[in-house]
Amino acid sequence: MLEAQSFRRALDDAGLEKDDIGGLASAGYGGMHEVALAEYLGLAPSWLESSSVGGSSFEFHAMHAYRAIQNGDVDTVAIVYGNNQLSASGRTLGTGGGGGGRGMALPRPMSYEFPTGLTLVGAYAMAAQRHMYEFGTTPEQLASIAVQTREHAGRNPRAMYRDPITVDDVLGSRLVADPLHKLDCCVISDGGCCVIMTTEDRARDLAHRPVYVRGASGGTTHHSIAAMPNMTRTAAAVSGPKAFAEAGIAPGDVDMFAMYDSFTYTVLVVLEDLGFAPKGEGGAFVADNGGNLRLGGALPTNTDGGGLSCTHPGMRGLFLLCEATRQLRDEAGESQVDGAEIAVAHGSGGWLSTQATVVLGTEAA
Amino acid sequence: MTADERTDRSDARDAAWTDVPKWLMPRPQLEDREFWEGAGRGELRIQRCRSCGRHQHYARMLCSHCGKATLEWVTASGNGTVYSFTVIRQNGVPPFNERIPFVVATVDLDEHGARMIAAMPALDPADARIGMRVRATFRPAGDEFGFVDFAPAS
Repeated sequence: MLEAQSFRRALDDAGLEKDDIGGLASAGYGGMHEVALAEYLGLAPSWLESSSVGGSSFEFHAMHAYRAIQNGDVDTVAIVYGNNQLSASGRTLGTGGGGGGRGMALPRPMSYEFPTGLTLVGAYAMAAQRHMYEFGTTPEQLASIAVQTREHAGRNPRAMYRDPITVDDVLGSRLVADPLHKLDCCVISDGGCCVIMTTEDRARDLAHRPVYVRGASGGTTHHSIAAMPNMTRTAAAVSGPKAFAEAGIAPGDVDMFAMYDSFTYTVLVVLEDLGFAPKGEGGAFVADNGGNLRLGGALPTNTDGGGLSCTHPGMRGLFLLCEATRQLRDEAGESQVDGAEIAVAHGSGGWLSTQATVVLGTEAA
Repeated sequence: MTADERTDRSDARDAAWTDVPKWLMPRPQLEDREFWEGAGRGELRIQRCRSCGRHQHYARMLCSHCGKATLEWVTASGNGTVYSFTVIRQNGVPPFNERIPFVVATVDLDEHGARMIAAMPALDPADARIGMRVRATFRPAGDEFGFVDFAPAS
């Protein structure tokens, strides 16, 4: 039970016991999952959150928990996720299996999309293709995101794939849905994660130096990719500026970026939407020789190796908050971004459908 | 590979498009039966809003552009432009795995406001381009209904 394992480790990390937890958030399963999870964990939470909006659910959870804690509705919240995606379903997610499938009553709009044979990977691929068409973005530029992310994974003993790769390796891996190659796609793994949020007063008395939420925002533009008004602009173009404004920061102030890298293109388009690069210039920003995403680069990104190389158990949103927290606590070891004070965790869910930005900072930030 | 084998493979791929398994058959609902029945008789039926003049696909009870419930069914010209596309090279689910590689495109219909995703079975993946002009074709789904595909405009 990956959720329980993660929950127990997070309690130990914080120096808390289960009865300290007054609120529970989880996502991504059938109805009432978080209620069953509460029962399994022996919790009777008075605050429940089950926004289930794909991979970004957990950034929504963190935002809602932040507001609820500020409002005094709840004192301490555990956000929990675990999934044995790889063991249960193999590497089928994204290419026709692992979601959707035979015999299901197909909800609209998927009843129109599914019979075409479009896959989850294919939906992202169409968006990437449009970006290449409008802005001249190249497969090499997309590949360079995977290359730099793999460098980070090489420093993380827990990452699934750690051997260095080159742009040629990415371009030489088979095409899954043009223009996305196998190595443009995130891994499929098992995994679990838990993040605990509490009041500032309580956090000061716990085992580690606190990491603060400084701003958060989220939104959606569509469900199915056909309804995405502009495939080169996501809801991050709204959530990012709102979250940054609340935090009182500019993109240049961000020391480290934990970005939901379901695919290389997801990183590219959201880098632009959040203002790290002007619209259409994301390709140049991530280009390999620039090294902006590396340690020591302008914006070290996915320092744990990301979904592209480290872990992606169905949904990755919670792991982003965990890695950003590790960095701001100066606990990232070989992957540490020197002097990291401000980190951004950004989740993307569905088919670029839902986006949520959480700005985290140290006490000094 | 002999010529016969290629022919066999081609026939098998055609069958993978035309033999629609039961689980993939449309399940029309109140709002959208007109679309599926229209496709069955070779017409691309979409909704037009009498208030804002814009079109939409898929069918809804209100206009997704302006929110009014002033919708009427119209027959689209079937002409459109490829907004984007991908080539599906991996899909583990039959019958799609017997079709690969194939093009799936997002098509902006000439009727303003309407966009749809469709397969392009007749298009060689190497010839797919954003901006290409396309026209709707129809593929039976059982006796009553149909799927809308697109092919390059001639």
